[in-house]
Amino acid sequence: MKKGISVFLFRMGLASLFLVLTVFTLSIVVIAQELQVAVHLQGAEVVPYWDPSDGASGEIGLMNNLYEALLRYDAATNTFTPILATSYEQSEDAKTWTFKLREGVKFHTGNVMNAHAVKASIDRTIERGRGSSYIWSPVDSIEVIDDYTIRFHLRQPAPLDLVVAAGYCAYIFDPAYCDHDWFIAGNDSGTGPYTVESSEGSEKVITKKFDDYWGGWEGKHFDRVVFLSVSEASTRRLMLETGQADFCEQLPPTDIEALQDNLAVRVEVNPSFQNLMVLYNNQRTPLDNALVRRAMSYLIPYEDTVAVGLGGYGYVSRGVIPYGLWGYSDRVETFTYSPTVAKALLTQAGYPDGGFKFLLTYPAGYEDIRKTVELWRAACAELNITLDTRAMPTAERNAIARSPDPAKRQDIYLLYWWPDYANPDSFLSGMFYTQERPAYNLGYYSNPVFDALIDYAITLPTGSQEAIDMMVELQNILQRDAAGIAVWDMQYLRAMNTSLQGYVDNAAYPNVVFWYDCYRE
Amino acid sequence: MLSYIVRRLLIGVLSLFGASIIAFTLTRIIPSDPADMWMGPHATVEQIERAHVELGLDKPISVQYCIYMSKFLRGDWGISIVTKQPVLRDLARYLPASIELIVFGMLVGFAVGIPLGILSAAKPGRGMDHISRVFAITGVALPSFWLAMLLQLVLGKELSLFPLIGRVDLLIEIMNPIRRITGLYVFDSLITGNFAALKDALWHIVLPGLTLAMYPLGLATRMVRTTMLEVLREDYIRTARASGVREEKVLTVYALRNALGPVLTVGALTFGYSLVSTFLIESLFAWPGLGRYAAKAIVSVDYPAIMGVTLLVAAFYVILNLGADLIQAVMDPRIRLS
Repeated sequence: MKKGISVFLFRMGLASLFLVLTVFTLSIVVIAQELQVAVHLQGAEVVPYWDPSDGASGEIGLMNNLYEALLRYDAATNTFTPILATSYEQSEDAKTWTFKLREGVKFHTGNVMNAHAVKASIDRTIERGRGSSYIWSPVDSIEVIDDYTIRFHLRQPAPLDLVVAAGYCAYIFDPAYCDHDWFIAGNDSGTGPYTVESSEGSEKVITKKFDDYWGGWEGKHFDRVVFLSVSEASTRRLMLETGQADFCEQLPPTDIEALQDNLAVRVEVNPSFQNLMVLYNNQRTPLDNALVRRAMSYLIPYEDTVAVGLGGYGYVSRGVIPYGLWGYSDRVETFTYSPTVAKALLTQAGYPDGGFKFLLTYPAGYEDIRKTVELWRAACAELNITLDTRAMPTAERNAIARSPDPAKRQDIYLLYWWPDYANPDSFLSGMFYTQERPAYNLGYYSNPVFDALIDYAITLPTGSQEAIDMMVELQNILQRDAAGIAVWDMQYLRAMNTSLQGYVDNAAYPNVVFWYDCYRE
Repeated sequence: MLSYIVRRLLIGVLSLFGASIIAFTLTRIIPSDPADMWMGPHATVEQIERAHVELGLDKPISVQYCIYMSKFLRGDWGISIVTKQPVLRDLARYLPASIELIVFGMLVGFAVGIPLGILSAAKPGRGMDHISRVFAITGVALPSFWLAMLLQLVLGKELSLFPLIGRVDLLIEIMNPIRRITGLYVFDSLITGNFAALKDALWHIVLPGLTLAMYPLGLATRMVRTTMLEVLREDYIRTARASGVREEKVLTVYALRNALGPVLTVGALTFGYSLVSTFLIESLFAWPGLGRYAAKAIVSVDYPAIMGVTLLVAAFYVILNLGADLIQAVMDPRIRLS
């Protein structure tokens, strides 16, 4: 009898447990159906820098949804959208810029955004001096005119509208909540449409909509956006195919081709401001001879590198400023693949039989660059030039490139470059302006005429005809010297769930989805 | 026994000290400049110099080591150059995920591998022996990344039986988050009564756990078979059989108990090794574990993280080996601790 009761109670217990679990699971499903959740995949860490003053890297996708800047730049139309500033004006000499701020904006902390907060945010970013904070280098002082008016005084004329719209280090945050340790514990104090709900290291961040967002929540929006780092491209692709993700930043061309026929996935190919740069060691024989550098440049099979390295998703570069960014021009002289011209140049330089061996370093883990390097190596071998190619982690190859002993440095350095904001000067100053101790002038190029023209170019009005002409002139100097060259301008390959609507790619904010504008249809 | 444990722990501390010197020297002799990783990909000359000062790279290696160890002993394991988080906090975050996965994988591996090894040794050269040997060799030889992708493709994508990645479903995480106590999701959800999360966490661990289980499974099968065959030839086994003891008891009590010693030792070593060797499995399943963290740290020459992981794993080796020896002594009366 007792045994019978025990068995009955045990069975009842099991049945109850099953019922509870079923009800619980069903309730989650029902709630989940009402909740609009988007999943944003990226290959690298979601948030290498939590501190809004320090950013310069892969956190751009997350941060531009947590934080906002004064303006947003539209790379396609070359126009600005007011965000935290509603209007602005500049003085004739472009050295004084005054911004009217939006009223009624709250930080995620509940405090009100005003001119004092804007000044404190930017002052802190300048003071910390990390990440891309150098974008503020033209700023001499910031003056609060009234609660909703702020004025920047510059040391020299500069495109401050582009600076305040930068994707990095231009964020406005609550100065009452800006302790570095507080930020890196996974907190935010921005004004953006989303705020951090929870995070797991630098690999996963779950954000929720900020109810008091100044833009309001009328219409269709996502309630939650999950930013997820999935390092394996094959897994990212599987997640898209099975509907477990809404957006994937960058997939290899082979995966993109495979996804083209999948009705559940939409693929977009968009221009970028990112190119592959080759920096020759301008100080080491025989590369200190411009003729040899030019010969090397004629040995790159440009069209093939785009076809094989990028799977066709890119353009052969014309000058160091990438396609789509102001300053790009078909007036810039360019190199084409021509072993005959290369041979003639080498003969002219006194090296008719080649016989060089160059150490070429490139970043490890980039299949597109590896393929390009292999093609170049094969072409060089035809003229008895050996490329000793080494894929290395950035930290290791930069130690070689910046070695105090020039004899230990590489001959050729390859790197991807993109601007911190939509400014072509980044491609010129960053890699070619004379640097006594090199940071990214890792071709060690030094040309006083070029430097002087750069100094003058940055004083010219952004995008003016004179500025564009100057950019063309500067690029032609580099091309004639073959100081360093760009091989290709890449295109961004975006794969997303077909139901995702509202996404607009903006080359000025690489890998950013402004999730507030998106919804699921 | 107590003096033995104390002596082994002291040797363990010396081993850790040695490991710290080797790891520190190795990471520093490779020419490396982590300034860009620290300051940002387009760091200026001034930022690079500042990074060198902040990271202490402007000092001699011996001084850097002394500073590191003095901070280390005070609980400051440095800041990771990649994540910009305190290394200790990172380790506390990633270690439980790895332990959970490895424990699951090893439990499955040993739970299947040991019986297979016994069956194989009970009737060597017969059908079951051949089957278990094929199984064992396959388990050891199969590349884990290949198996992981196969499982994802078949059981994850095509049959939709299991999730592709992660430790728990995003919706569960949003709607019913697991209260973090130990960081072991299965355990935490169980003791907090979060059964929806428990079910989901178990569901998520299946594919990476099975992938990881294959190696210990093969290893356990082979080792149990070999040691059992040796033990079964011993006089006391013959005596037991002659005395009429049932064959099941001979195998599972008298033989297995004495054959498990080497399996335990290898199991302990495999556990320690798996802490960082599972990075491919963790990468494919987006499992936020220590292996993935270590792999990123190595690729980025993240000195503080490499040091932290090295010392942590070395400490695990010391403790696990000691634990294995103690258990072995308890199980096998022939072993004396001295």
